[in-house]
Amino acid sequence: MTNKEKYKQAFSAIHASNDFSLEVRQMEKMSKKYRFKGVAAAAAVCIMLFGSATAVYAADVGGIQRTLQLWIHGDQTEATIWFDGNGQYDMDYTDEDGTLQQRSGGGVAFAADGSEIPVTEEDLMAQLTAPEVVYEDDGTVWVYWFDQKMDITDKFENGVCYVKLVREEETLYLTVQYQNGYALSSRKYPAPDTFN
Amino acid sequence: MKPSVEILVENYRSNLYAAAFNVCKNAQDAEDVVQDTFIQYISQKKDFESEQHIRAWLIRVAINKAKNKNNAFFRRNVLPLEEYMETLTFESEESSDLFENVMKLPEKYRIVIHLFYYEDYSVNEIADILKVSPGNVKVRLSRGRRILRDALKEVWEDDE
Repeated sequence: MTNKEKYKQAFSAIHASNDFSLEVRQMEKMSKKYRFKGVAAAAAVCIMLFGSATAVYAADVGGIQRTLQLWIHGDQTEATIWFDGNGQYDMDYTDEDGTLQQRSGGGVAFAADGSEIPVTEEDLMAQLTAPEVVYEDDGTVWVYWFDQKMDITDKFENGVCYVKLVREEETLYLTVQYQNGYALSSRKYPAPDTFN
Repeated sequence: MKPSVEILVENYRSNLYAAAFNVCKNAQDAEDVVQDTFIQYISQKKDFESEQHIRAWLIRVAINKAKNKNNAFFRRNVLPLEEYMETLTFESEESSDLFENVMKLPEKYRIVIHLFYYEDYSVNEIADILKVSPGNVKVRLSRGRRILRDALKEVWEDDE
């Protein structure tokens, strides 16, 4: 008997149990789904967000922890997010390969008198669920929003692309300046000269 | 292509369970990993080139999820491997010894050995699944084999 045959025979002793139910598992996950308020609600404040791909965790992270289903680059994934109550968040999620990814970020809002105030958890959640424009390594440009993904690479004219996004009862108008930022509104396409 | 999850469960459930168990050495965690892997398949819109592409992707996701289980700060009370092995029925004492010695290998050797001897993957395919270099796979495979050979003596042939 070869080593491969011996190995397979040895590991044939282990079996997954019979109480295997993807439906139950999926329902458990879906029940955690967080109902987000629309982006329009957050549009009332001017939010400047910043973030990075890596995060350093303090051992005594306080604040509020949420485990919820997020759409990241068109794929639904379970994310655990810690909000520190001061406008910052740390997030863990697994990417399409099942690898654990960490992301952190935060932001400030500007009050009417120009002073900075930390954004709320609700504002951060609205940002995390807002459409995202991604420039891939192969040169293509994509817009991701929940389960929608759209290749907009060839839709730029004079460096500007306009994208209408519709999901359930929500409609968003997205203006993208090629490699120079994007803006969105629930009423009309933001003019390119009003941002960046 | 994106076949139905029912077909994939039928075809790959045992393979994913074996790969997950190989990494996390715990039956309940391995069960969770298998189910979560299929949930991830259902919930994403990835399009696959072939059956082999799907199989490799499922195994990669299961391995990564199993590693995450090992790294989780809060880990369930795990049943010691020795106790779990008492619940298994091996075809021979040699099989039992082989299983036990594989489980004693360091994780990075264990998973490479598993993909080579159980899944019949080549060095290059293993490198692609684990996202490491083929040279790295060869080194891990060689070291894992040597440990098994030293422990199992004549039961494990020299197949370098």
